[in-house]
Amino acid sequence: MLFYLLKRVGLAVVIVVVAVVLLYSMIHVVPGDPASVILGPRATPEMKQELHKLMGLDRPFVVQVVSFLGKVARGNLGMDFFSQRPVAEIVFKQLDETLVLVLASITWAMLLGIPLGCYSAVFRNTFSDKLVGVFSIGVIAVPSFVVALYSLLFFAVTLKWLPAIGAGESGQFLDQARHLILPAFAIGLGWVGYIARLVRASMLEVLNENHIRRARAFGLPETTIVFHYALKLAILPTVTLLGTGIGRLISSAVFAEIVFARPGIGKLIFDSVVSRNYPLVMGAVVVSTVLFVLSTTISDSINAMLDPRVRERL
Amino acid sequence: MSKPNMQFSKIRLSRRSFLKTSAATAGWLMLPGLGMHPSWAQDTRVLRVRDYGDPQSLDPGIASNLYEEHVNAAVHNKLIAYKPGNKWEWQLEAARSIEQMDPTHITFELKPGITFTNGFGEMTAEDVKFSYERIIDPELKSPIKGDWATLASVDVTDKYSGVIVLSKPFQPLWMTTLPYMGGNIVSKKAVEAAGGKFAAMPSCFSGPYIIKEREPKQRTVLARNPEWKGAPAGFDEIHIFPIDDEKTAEMGFEAGDLDYTRVSMSSYKNLKKTPPKNSVVEKYPSLYYVWLGMNMEHPKLSDERVRRAVQYAVDIPSILAAAYDGVADPATGYVPPGLVGHRPDTLVPPNADFAKAKALLAEAGYPDGIDLDLEVRNKAVYIAAGQVIQAMAAQAGIRMNLNLHDSGSFWSLGDESKGDRWKKLQLVLNRFSSAPDPHYAAQWFTREQVGVWNWERFKNAEYNQLYEQALAEGDKDKRDRMYRRMQELMEASGAYRFITHEAVPVIYTDRITPALRPDGMPLLRYFTTA
Repeated sequence: MLFYLLKRVGLAVVIVVVAVVLLYSMIHVVPGDPASVILGPRATPEMKQELHKLMGLDRPFVVQVVSFLGKVARGNLGMDFFSQRPVAEIVFKQLDETLVLVLASITWAMLLGIPLGCYSAVFRNTFSDKLVGVFSIGVIAVPSFVVALYSLLFFAVTLKWLPAIGAGESGQFLDQARHLILPAFAIGLGWVGYIARLVRASMLEVLNENHIRRARAFGLPETTIVFHYALKLAILPTVTLLGTGIGRLISSAVFAEIVFARPGIGKLIFDSVVSRNYPLVMGAVVVSTVLFVLSTTISDSINAMLDPRVRERL
Repeated sequence: MSKPNMQFSKIRLSRRSFLKTSAATAGWLMLPGLGMHPSWAQDTRVLRVRDYGDPQSLDPGIASNLYEEHVNAAVHNKLIAYKPGNKWEWQLEAARSIEQMDPTHITFELKPGITFTNGFGEMTAEDVKFSYERIIDPELKSPIKGDWATLASVDVTDKYSGVIVLSKPFQPLWMTTLPYMGGNIVSKKAVEAAGGKFAAMPSCFSGPYIIKEREPKQRTVLARNPEWKGAPAGFDEIHIFPIDDEKTAEMGFEAGDLDYTRVSMSSYKNLKKTPPKNSVVEKYPSLYYVWLGMNMEHPKLSDERVRRAVQYAVDIPSILAAAYDGVADPATGYVPPGLVGHRPDTLVPPNADFAKAKALLAEAGYPDGIDLDLEVRNKAVYIAAGQVIQAMAAQAGIRMNLNLHDSGSFWSLGDESKGDRWKKLQLVLNRFSSAPDPHYAAQWFTREQVGVWNWERFKNAEYNQLYEQALAEGDKDKRDRMYRRMQELMEASGAYRFITHEAVPVIYTDRITPALRPDGMPLLRYFTTA
């Protein structure tokens, strides 16, 4: 297991470096001048030139990339030239908001999706199973921004039950929870369907295995069989899906962050790309890439722990 | 259909109990009694407004965005400030009196007793001198240095009085410098203590509000300044939410989370017809100007007849109907109605004349029409405008190819320092912001701006001469004639087809009385409860 973990972490580091180099290249290939955006229309060419120098944009591209990677290795993401604040401070502040949103979304999706999947598997081919199937496919098919817009129109604008914009007052847990409901609902709804379908399929497979039949023959309670023996194995593909799903969740969070005017890392990246704020784009991309790679590494490691065969495949 | 092979009811968390628990939790979170939803927190002393951007720098010397000025204007003082209302006028703010003694000397006297918070003492003429002279100090690298380009010095006469000395006359000072971004007065002691400039948060304030809290990308909270001795602030707190998307802001308003916001032009008619309960919808003329520009140095457009053909092929009423929902009016130049230099008419009428456009093209050697590229920003309104231009121009034999750009790419299209893209630039649908003096808009079209912001590469000696003269001209009528002539020269070159100044529709709750500039921009310090 230790050898597997070492290999997996090594691979994660390579993925991060490749992703950072690729993204660094991409943003520099796109036309656009950060100095024009930062300094505004009244900036003189001399002022722009000076800012380029300050941002290191006057150096050869390869030097910029190597210097950036060196800084990242030392834990320094640089300075934001718009606000004159450390990039790490800005990114981690926004990351908190996104992580809370993503965790809330996936938590409620799991709380509903896993029982629904189990229910469908246990009562397979019944009317209820078909109903759950239609519901699951239905919610997978609806894009999260559509759910965001309609839930906002219904619950916030028409019924006025929940707030429409912002993330709530800092330090006020209930206010923040209230602001979280609609965005988390919008992002998580599709995942309820995914998880339910996945758990159902895995459960059906597991429930037909010999050890389950033997457990049943021994007269173990069905609750124990389903949740203790069957679900433990059936949940493996879901764990993998959640690991790789973090990236998709962050992408979905962008829409929710825009529709609900919430702060977050997705919106930060979007705004920074538009304004060609290179230090902030790269800082946010590095952090979200690390987050993504970390989550897949953790989910793979959990899989490897639960199923020794996985360790041999790397 | 197979029968279930087990009794699922044995599982303790049944479907019903699960649903009951979920519903109870959701219901509890939605309970109005908890009083956490802003729309229920109808405290009339908290004003919630939306702005289109999040302030990055709140040091008035280095702030250059309008949304930063909205905050700065509420927490600092200027000698004079814009007067809320429908006319562009200024009123005294920190100054007890101010007077132009001659074209280059302005005397002022401060009101005594205006204090800076956090123990930084009373505002004096030294602070005025420091605040204005630091903007022209090359060390600060202020983006608003141009506003004080002609400042020679501020001479302090006594504790409260001084003289602003200009190196040469500069008429825009009264409408775009003193009452705007360049006019904010900061505490010399505080800035020096901060090392020459404020970082993210200023260390002291002198206006009716102070900045209580900054949550980047989320909100800025202003609170009543306890040391303020002027007319009381209208609210205990002002919460400013940075929301880029106008549609999101509209929904925030309708959900009761906002008290004031600008709304999109496409929503104006519906909102005006059926306004949300307890709200007021109004429309203001904007200072922005939108035009179709043509690169005069591009081989396809170097012939004036081709450019004039494009001018005649663009139908302004169709653009206004399709892209601006009939809410905006046609523009006659870069100066909007109500300001010195506004032209009543254009040389080319707003309606297209396809026959004339075709004839001009044929005369220029393109009897079968011409292919041109039009660069457009990827925002719905400009894309719609671009598509209308494309469709109209096709009727005159001008086949336009639309190229969409995000703003980062768009704003470097004609910039010579960014490579050779400017050489390929043909047509561009452009939009600039402005200020309530024609000088502000006029400056971008001088010879010196070619390849910087003058992407049409319009070079006209008479224009440059008039521009310099108008800066110093004190006679309002003469200035008016000069700026009209300058816009006429631009249009006559064939490189410009002025489209619109757009419009600023706003919505606010009837529990507040907003204080707006004539262009609908908020002057937060003057907002009160209704």
